[in-house]
Amino acid sequence: MSADIERETSGPATDLTLEQLDGDGALQESIAGFYGDTRAGLLRKAVIGGTTMLATLASPPALAAEISKRNDVRIFQYALNFEYLQSSFYTETERAGTVARMEEAKAVWARTLGAHERAHVKIIKQVLGDAAPKKPLFDFRGNTESESRFTRTAVAMEDLTTALLTGVTPALRSQGLVAAAFSLLTVEARHAAWARHLAGIVPVAAAFDRAKPVSEVDRIVASTRFTSTLVPRTTARMEPKFVG
Amino acid sequence: MGDGSVHATSRLGLFKTAALLGGSALATGGVVTALAGRADQAPTALDARILNYVLRLEQLKAAFYEEAANGGALVGELQQFAELLARHEQTHVSFLRQRLGPRADDERTYDFGDATKDPNVFAQTARTLEEAAVAGYIGQGAHLTRPLMVPFAQMCSVEARHAAWIDDFLASAPAPRAADEAMAPADVLAVIEETGFERG
Repeated sequence: MSADIERETSGPATDLTLEQLDGDGALQESIAGFYGDTRAGLLRKAVIGGTTMLATLASPPALAAEISKRNDVRIFQYALNFEYLQSSFYTETERAGTVARMEEAKAVWARTLGAHERAHVKIIKQVLGDAAPKKPLFDFRGNTESESRFTRTAVAMEDLTTALLTGVTPALRSQGLVAAAFSLLTVEARHAAWARHLAGIVPVAAAFDRAKPVSEVDRIVASTRFTSTLVPRTTARMEPKFVG
Repeated sequence: MGDGSVHATSRLGLFKTAALLGGSALATGGVVTALAGRADQAPTALDARILNYVLRLEQLKAAFYEEAANGGALVGELQQFAELLARHEQTHVSFLRQRLGPRADDERTYDFGDATKDPNVFAQTARTLEEAAVAGYIGQGAHLTRPLMVPFAQMCSVEARHAAWIDDFLASAPAPRAADEAMAPADVLAVIEETGFERG
């Protein structure tokens, strides 16, 4: 391998080494309890990277530095609208009594997903601050009232949000937001796999998950007629296009 | 860790389509080529270190699932799980080796002991390995250069699906938190070394 390539340093953080990444332990305590996660075991050994970034970003000073780029704001605005869609869907299903009629394992699943999506709304709203769009109105067209229709919709929604986050995460400019997005991406992928498992569908269809661009995701959202679009309304300052 | 019981056949009927879906999704040679071809620049030195790090995880998992899938000790859903994951992880290994080229670390040899022979040990071990992989991927994604970040994210979400699947199988929470945690490489590798599977 040529020495030129070894010396190449394009892209972010190429000055970091894995050993230096190990040294991020100073940040570990900041996350403790932020999500109320108390699971014992191997994942508690180290808390660096994604979740820590999210916790840090949830405080306004760090946020201002991280979300300054218009591209990243636009991506997080779309992600917030998608989280609104999901959280509203699960909340309405619970309020309709549909979850209460489910068998226990399935009810746990439905309630957990609702709680997670509401947490995601809260986190992303904090990250966006004044740039956070308001919650759109949704019409779920009866899909929250029947268990089978709810389940089918949930499977599709979780697969779609996984594809959305897989697509937009590498398009974020801020390295901190990329790290945060990775720790949300895997949660949506877990939701999708869990939903598919409960529905009797193979939880993982391919060795590489599909990454869908925002335009394709939004076409699919529009086809549900739950809402016409999740693209936030543009202002003079915001161009109506996504970069990457 | 759930009750540790292995209800191996309870979902077999539900998974009749699994093999079909898996099979069609496993025309993976083309996927690997397409993804590898998309990134036309060579990995940076840090990229290469990260790719070799996840290669070590993926190689171990590929060998683990292959031995389990061919060992005859698993039935029903666990056998489907092992077969499908053997192919996924091998696809990841092929992709990583392709991107690394001559900088790819040498293959290792393994001794999995009972972990591929006893269904209970297999399931618990798979869970440990998948959770470590998810946390390891999350910890490194943001440090890659952009062309590699795309396929890395596509593998990362697949690892999360693997983890959720085996978690749910073991009646353990498939999505235990609203945002997943990252793990430092040293801690991930400590989990790997604790298994004692690597022989050299």
